Amino acid sequence: MKPSAFSYECPNDLQAALALLASDGDTRILAGGQSLVPMMNYRLAQPERLIDINRLSELDYIRDDGGVIAIGALARHAAIKSSDLIKEHFPIVAEAYDWIAHAAVRNRGTLCGNLCHADAASEMPAIMQILEAELVLLKVGTSRVIAAQDFFLGTYETAIAADEILTEVRIPKPAAGTGWGFEEVAMRRGDYAWCTVVATLRISDGKIAAPRIAMAGVNDCAARLRDAEAALTEQTPGASLFDAVADTVADAATPAESSAGSAAYKRDLIRALLPRVLNDAVTRAT
Amino acid sequence: MTGNQFTEGGTNMTKVSFKVTVNGRAREATVPPRMLLSDFIRQELSLPGTHVGCEHGVCGSCNVIVDGQAVRSCLMFAVQVEGSEITTVEGLTQGDALHPIQQAFWEEHGLQCGFCTPGMLATAQELLAQNPDPTDDEIREAISGNLCRCTGYEFIISAIRSAAVKLRETDTETTPQPV
Amino acid sequence: MSSHLKSNVIPPSRQREVPRTGMTWIGQSMKRVEDPRILSGKGGYIDDVAVPGMAHAAMVSSPHAHARIVSIDTSKAKALPGVIGVYTGEDLATVADPCPSFAAPPITQHAISVGKVRHVGEVVAAVVAEDRYIAEDAAELVEVEWEILPPNVDLEVAAAAAGDALLHPDDRDSNVALDESFSFGDVDQHFAEAHTVVKRRLRWQRSSAQAIETCGVVAQFDPFKGGYTIHSNSNFYNFIPFVIGGSLRVSPGELRIIPVLTGGSFGSKVFNHKIIILTAGLARLAGVPVKYIEDRLEHFTNSDSHGSDRLYDAELAMAEDGTFTSLRFTVMDDYGAYLQFGVGTHGNAMAQVTGPYQIQSFGMRVMAVLTNKTQQGPYRGFGSEVTNWVMERMVDAAAEELGRDPVALREQNMIQPDQFPYMIPTGNIYDSGNFQKVLEEAKTMFDFDGWRSKARAMRAKGRCVGVGLATCMERSVYGPTEWWSLNNKETPGFTLTSTPEGITVRLDPSGKMFVTLNSPMVGNSPETVVAQILAERLTIAPEDIVFNYSDSQSGFNGVGPQGSRFTAMIAGACVSASIKLEEKLKRFGAHMLQRRPEDVELRNGAVAVKGLKDQEKAFGEIALTSSFFRLSFPDGEEFDSGIETTAVYDHPLSTDPAEDRSHLGIFYPIVGHICHIVAVEVDPGTGKVEILDYTAVHDNGTMVNPRTLAGQVWGGTANGIGTTLSEVFEYDEDGQFTNPNFAEFAMPTANEMPRNFKLGHVETPSPYTEYGIKGGGEGGRLGAPSALTSAIEDALSDRGVKIASLPVTPPILRGLIRDAEQAATG
Repeated sequence: MKPSAFSYECPNDLQAALALLASDGDTRILAGGQSLVPMMNYRLAQPERLIDINRLSELDYIRDDGGVIAIGALARHAAIKSSDLIKEHFPIVAEAYDWIAHAAVRNRGTLCGNLCHADAASEMPAIMQILEAELVLLKVGTSRVIAAQDFFLGTYETAIAADEILTEVRIPKPAAGTGWGFEEVAMRRGDYAWCTVVATLRISDGKIAAPRIAMAGVNDCAARLRDAEAALTEQTPGASLFDAVADTVADAATPAESSAGSAAYKRDLIRALLPRVLNDAVTRAT
Repeated sequence: MTGNQFTEGGTNMTKVSFKVTVNGRAREATVPPRMLLSDFIRQELSLPGTHVGCEHGVCGSCNVIVDGQAVRSCLMFAVQVEGSEITTVEGLTQGDALHPIQQAFWEEHGLQCGFCTPGMLATAQELLAQNPDPTDDEIREAISGNLCRCTGYEFIISAIRSAAVKLRETDTETTPQPV
Repeated sequence: MSSHLKSNVIPPSRQREVPRTGMTWIGQSMKRVEDPRILSGKGGYIDDVAVPGMAHAAMVSSPHAHARIVSIDTSKAKALPGVIGVYTGEDLATVADPCPSFAAPPITQHAISVGKVRHVGEVVAAVVAEDRYIAEDAAELVEVEWEILPPNVDLEVAAAAAGDALLHPDDRDSNVALDESFSFGDVDQHFAEAHTVVKRRLRWQRSSAQAIETCGVVAQFDPFKGGYTIHSNSNFYNFIPFVIGGSLRVSPGELRIIPVLTGGSFGSKVFNHKIIILTAGLARLAGVPVKYIEDRLEHFTNSDSHGSDRLYDAELAMAEDGTFTSLRFTVMDDYGAYLQFGVGTHGNAMAQVTGPYQIQSFGMRVMAVLTNKTQQGPYRGFGSEVTNWVMERMVDAAAEELGRDPVALREQNMIQPDQFPYMIPTGNIYDSGNFQKVLEEAKTMFDFDGWRSKARAMRAKGRCVGVGLATCMERSVYGPTEWWSLNNKETPGFTLTSTPEGITVRLDPSGKMFVTLNSPMVGNSPETVVAQILAERLTIAPEDIVFNYSDSQSGFNGVGPQGSRFTAMIAGACVSASIKLEEKLKRFGAHMLQRRPEDVELRNGAVAVKGLKDQEKAFGEIALTSSFFRLSFPDGEEFDSGIETTAVYDHPLSTDPAEDRSHLGIFYPIVGHICHIVAVEVDPGTGKVEILDYTAVHDNGTMVNPRTLAGQVWGGTANGIGTTLSEVFEYDEDGQFTNPNFAEFAMPTANEMPRNFKLGHVETPSPYTEYGIKGGGEGGRLGAPSALTSAIEDALSDRGVKIASLPVTPPILRGLIRDAEQAATG
């Protein structure tokens, strides 16, 4: 189980990396490598060239940019998990990281790499969507910003172009009083999720305001549950409402039959987890 | 970093030269970029204490300390450690004496076949550096990325708990305490 | 005793060291002798072996479950720089014959397949190259043209298959490799007279040990030295030359197998004969030493160590008062594509098939079914883990049908302490035990009654909390008749009856005691237990003992640690060696002290005059004098230089099977007992099971080292928890193995283990082994599945969920709950 041969570039600054990426060839960016290298060891991925961005220390940051927290491409999961800024503004991210791989993998793996890998059972693509994060994509001479909800197109499929680098994730600080919930079922903690449900919301005059819900591990990519959000908006929270919403989401889900459980099981998980997540979010909302 | 053209396996590749400090010793190497760090440590550096269990990043047997952090050496390429400081299990031993964590594993029967042990030790070393007095649940969580098929983990947890006490006592002895 | 057992006479005990209390070393949790070198990274595992000029092998593996090989084109692979050779099955056949098989008649298996492949991962060609990376590059360049054949995945379908779906059409006209029926005692009569017969269909699905180290070999062939030199992490290195010499076309003496420290086995490395034949053959073909270490994928798909995969139709006959009278199985076992050990896993289970209960007769029809999966091999329990679970499931089912308390029903039927040695219907005996004491100890430690009422109260509040209890047997010290006693009576195959264990002990002139063992260290503690036993018997300090391992040319009479045999067997060898050494030491020492041998004794590492404090000669001084100062002693052979001896210990208690197989003889008689009790909570919405509390009490006779025994119990329990809750090999309808990796084959991590595991021991010594020692390497996995299954069923008792198949992963358990919910709502 050894990777096939590739040529290796290790640029020292972002411009050099972008220039290399602009040239032709079957190229992959090597950041944390915690998803890419296993695939290379299995020879499921056989890139001709790797551009190692680990020397781009300019991208290693977690920074308060006023209304947003900006996370650079080289920020490791471990650093984000233990960051005081993240714990203060996005406790859901810190909590979710307990469910994402294990310490040694989090020491190397990066949030941006995880988002670009876009595994359908990965947690952060769902969380970035409910936090309404924006992703900064750079290529030679230009940059663009894309909303997280527009970035994920399918399993292992994103809106990034071959010559682009995801250099930064910008997460707006949530409104005061926002509550959150996170629930996941996997075989073991740290495994890819069979079903992850995440939500944030506020309570205004006893009613649900600005609910944002997303799910991973069920459909072909993590996505917001817009219909469920609409059904909850300005409603009084309660068990029967949550169960009804969960039923609707479960019925609309399109899970693939797999060894991780039948479609019926995935729907059961939605019915079990979504009300718990909403309850937690309501409890935490102030 | 320098490159020299050569042919390997029918593919034109550039071997890469780099420097790295391993267990306190400066090493220079020239290897193909695809060489995994685990293979580099075991074969190029002849340090067989780092074990390869799965080569897909799950079992943790190949964990080593790179720049103070435990990492999967099967998920890094050797060329990525240029300029880094690496500690393997061979570097944990202090002269003729076992490190307090190794000693605790011995006393508590924290190993049976020993194959996962070097990775466990690396994980324990990082944990105790960050958290000198972990709870059992924190120990459990920390080692949950290291598979052991022999022990059921109970005595590994005891060993790390005991190692924490040993290390705290060592610190007390060497660090002047406020009166 | 039933009349069919009359001919099975229990031989007298050969025990020399009687069990006793207050021993100095035996019974101490001494730190392990093996550990410092392992902890410092210098253990020396198979992948650490390097020999000059060594090349590396990689395999071309079958992507298909069942296919004919139409053609193989190796030309591109051979042309790759760095490649030394590329070899197909036909190439290997020029230097090696098929693998040995304990099945009778044997099923042909080639280390590299010839003509067709029978499971995903089977090797079709091998590359030898300068390094493993290049070897894998070349393996990708080998082009194979296939003709796909129908895959056999479901065992019942496979059993009925014909035509192109036959796995071995040249050998057999059916995929049922063996179909034999047995009746031990008056089974039909007991069932005819039964008041109640409980019937259940029970399924146990395949998984495997997956030790963290895979199997590997470094092999050299030297035609001028006349044979092979092979490093291997096999458990069985002193025995396999006799099994595989024929395959490699050399005499066993021309196979030098050198052991290494082995990174876990749990059965998976017992023989390793295929990988040895493969690698040795490649070394001969390539003309260079070859290293081949399975990668994890190859270990999953081609290591021939998958565990039991059985479907039982089980029946338990009972009298009106709940007394068990007879047990009957029809069992189909999915053995995969070959049958290397015959139905040895069922032979093993015959050692304790009736559990701790008094059951007068037992009947079984066993069908070994071949499918397009990796073949079975040993995995901790070797088949007995399944029958333990089936027995305990049947007792729980009986309690439910009779409306009886399951624990009371167990107690009613248990063998009583005064009934030992107890012969079960198959002919095996249980040497000793006190099952009631183990049960009481476990119930007390766990607070069983408290937990049961707590669980009931929690269930009343809607929580799914339950308690499960299992009382199981742990047979140890195997006899080899288990391999063949169930084979077709006309062609029983290789009817081996020896399982000796040997030791060489030499007292060095320096005062160190050099010990050579003939079985490898696989994660057990061979050096530690030998140090403790020799220290006990000879009064030497354990730190003065130095260990080495023989290779297959320098040693003999080693069978290995499998079958929970090593500690009890090596104890016998240690005692034999000690008797001889003591005699020599006293002879030399007495002469030096100018006393008669009968006036001296061993005392603190010295030969000392009885009753006199200062009159003694240290072992080192005796060894030094006897080695270097011959003229200090009289002429005569009895004073030949040096203090050393070799000793061997044969199985302490075994008899032949009856010719007509009316019984199987005594073959696995050193029997421990275990009681596991567990409390769980099930999340009914997700099917997740949380273990709330766990107690295990084991009786493994006299304990040599309680700490290392506890490690075995915990580790085995972790295996059992995985077997019950998370581990299963998944094959799709095409015979693709869909989860052969550590991310999806979910072995427990520290997070999945119970938080408050309590372990207790009862010591009922064996009357047959030295000091009364019994084996204890498998018990955790022999008990955990039964207790956990009961607990989960109890937790879901209000919902009417029944568990008849393992594992119960969250998706499977949620499916059972969903079915029950739907049945309840109509």
